[in-house]
Amino acid sequence: MTAKDIIKITINLVAIYIIGGLILASVYAKTSPIIFRNAIIEKEEALKKLVPDADSTEKLGDWLIHGKKAEYFAVKKENEIIGYVIQSYGKGYSSYINVLIAVDNDLKVKKIDILSHAETPGLGDEIETDYFKNQFIGKGIENMKLVKTETADYIQAITGVTISCRAVTNDAVKNGLAFLSDTMKEGGKEHGAAKHE
Amino acid sequence: MAQQSTSSYWELIKNGIIAENTIFRLALSLCPAIAVTGGLRNGVLMGIAVLFVQVMVNVTISMIKGFIHPKIRLPIFMLVISGWVTITDMSMAAFAREAYRQMGLYIQLIVAFASILARAEMFASKNKVTPSMFDGIGMGLGFLFALTTISFFRELLGKGSLWGFPIVDTKPLLIMILPAGGFFAVGILMAFFNWIDSRYLKKKTASH
Repeated sequence: MTAKDIIKITINLVAIYIIGGLILASVYAKTSPIIFRNAIIEKEEALKKLVPDADSTEKLGDWLIHGKKAEYFAVKKENEIIGYVIQSYGKGYSSYINVLIAVDNDLKVKKIDILSHAETPGLGDEIETDYFKNQFIGKGIENMKLVKTETADYIQAITGVTISCRAVTNDAVKNGLAFLSDTMKEGGKEHGAAKHE
Repeated sequence: MAQQSTSSYWELIKNGIIAENTIFRLALSLCPAIAVTGGLRNGVLMGIAVLFVQVMVNVTISMIKGFIHPKIRLPIFMLVISGWVTITDMSMAAFAREAYRQMGLYIQLIVAFASILARAEMFASKNKVTPSMFDGIGMGLGFLFALTTISFFRELLGKGSLWGFPIVDTKPLLIMILPAGGFFAVGILMAFFNWIDSRYLKKKTASH
């Protein structure tokens, strides 16, 4: 290979990669605001589905988990706080699993929803099934443990999906509930959840 | 003349589905063939996603093959593949939210598929745009066909359902939806298609 060849190859490679980069950048510039908006719409829809009996949800603030900003809300009915919704992330097999958790005033889970993730199709995405999600209903932070056998007190893992299930249970939901309980203890009175103590 | 070219395109498609079927004959991309075929729905969606990306990649490579220096063709193929995957991923997330919710997971996986790189290298970089497109269609359909067949048997035997709807009401063979069952399914189907092929070929040579 002569010096001329090397220069030719370099120019060729650089030129094509710059073109490819420009194409990708322009597609990203066009689509990313729409994707961002879609994500907000999706979160709002999920929020509504999660607490259908609420009159309104009021954002209380943001918190950080895995370096990501997540939100938490108070759920109101006839101006009384009837529970909370917290967004949380769990570190799964190939992505961060974005979870919404609805709880009542005693911080028992009312319902959870998987907002987004990029786990393996056919395996990891089984965390979206109602069978898995319904296991969380009525459970508190002390029940957030993943086990592999039949259980009434804890959460049972799905065969072949242990890592994703663990990410939802021990990571996302548990940390979310822990944060809520800490926050309520500190500023509980103004949020009307002082009785939790 | 037109007749002739149509039939040769048809040959290209048939070649992709039967003679050079990605999974059953070339034994490429066995990883997705096992990983995502636990259910019929997964298999079909993955197949459709691959079909689309394969055609787009083949057409693009064939179009730019004149500019590619032969020594650096592989990094450029990779750029084209990952570029198309990213573009498809982002545009679907933006403009086809419902479809993306169903297929988004599959599209991102395609970057790593050997079958697409193999077709770019073996066919698209040596042929004109139209034949490359038909080769892509054939290969994609062959992949779709293979994934559909594998996932059909695995879901039916492993879960007793199809596309998520329960079909048979017996205790299913759990092993079929686990990775081990994937190897069984691919191996048995591969043997089956080889057997058909050898019989078919024998008949053809005997009749000559």
